[in-house]
Amino acid sequence: MIQEQLSRLQQLQQTLQAVATQKQQLEIEASETDKALAELEKMTDDSSVYKSVGSLLLKSDRQTLLKELKERKELLGTRITVLGRQEDRTKERMKELQEKLQEKLRPSTASAN
Amino acid sequence: MATPRRRAAPAPRPSASSVDDEMRQTLTEIRLMEGSARVLQSRLDVVSAAMSETQTAISTLEGVRGTTEGSELLLPIGSGSFVKGKLASSDKIVIGIGAGVCVEKTVDDSLKDLRVRSSELDRARTSVAQQLGQILGATEDYRARLSEMVRKKGGGSVEIV
Repeated sequence: MIQEQLSRLQQLQQTLQAVATQKQQLEIEASETDKALAELEKMTDDSSVYKSVGSLLLKSDRQTLLKELKERKELLGTRITVLGRQEDRTKERMKELQEKLQEKLRPSTASAN
Repeated sequence: MATPRRRAAPAPRPSASSVDDEMRQTLTEIRLMEGSARVLQSRLDVVSAAMSETQTAISTLEGVRGTTEGSELLLPIGSGSFVKGKLASSDKIVIGIGAGVCVEKTVDDSLKDLRVRSSELDRARTSVAQQLGQILGATEDYRARLSEMVRKKGGGSVEIV
């Protein structure tokens, strides 16, 4: 039983690390999108703007790119919120499991497994 | 970014039975700090590479600024090979602003942007280098402490790799 719980705790730690890494990457992407939006906002509609497609740069227009980046930012925000909730839930489950394990490992109540 | 702080080496404990535990704990700390140092070194390499790239772009633009339109130039295609081309514009270039978007800007505005980027990268590099120095210093302290513990225990000197 204790072995199973320890193994579960390790799994949760790995999940937490993976979720945190993914969230951090999305936050970096969101920050980059914000900067690109701010830069595009400063320009005029007749400015030449390009969108990266693979190794090519395709000519686009400012309004289209503003719309695309705003949508991207919204999507990233949603995904970051979802991952944040997942992170909180994982932390709660880890805390519960750690408390259970500590309870079992206390010398007075410890039992051989 | 996690800020590593210089940790004080653990104080010696009198109990002989706890020495082994303390040595194990110190070794674990050393391994953890080595892991952090590897992460910081890799971050430093990334920042240095980005800075070098930005400097190349700045030098190129400074060169392009004084060149007349229509001048012949060679475009690198890798492996020391080039295709011939002609400069279509010496006052406008296309610069990346992140998120897969590039915009046309004057050479002067682009140079300003690139210099700002270069300063930001320089600050980041200084900060990461400082953190790395702290971690390496703390690791050395821990190594010396562990070596001392081993020596006192009668194991002679020890090299931690």
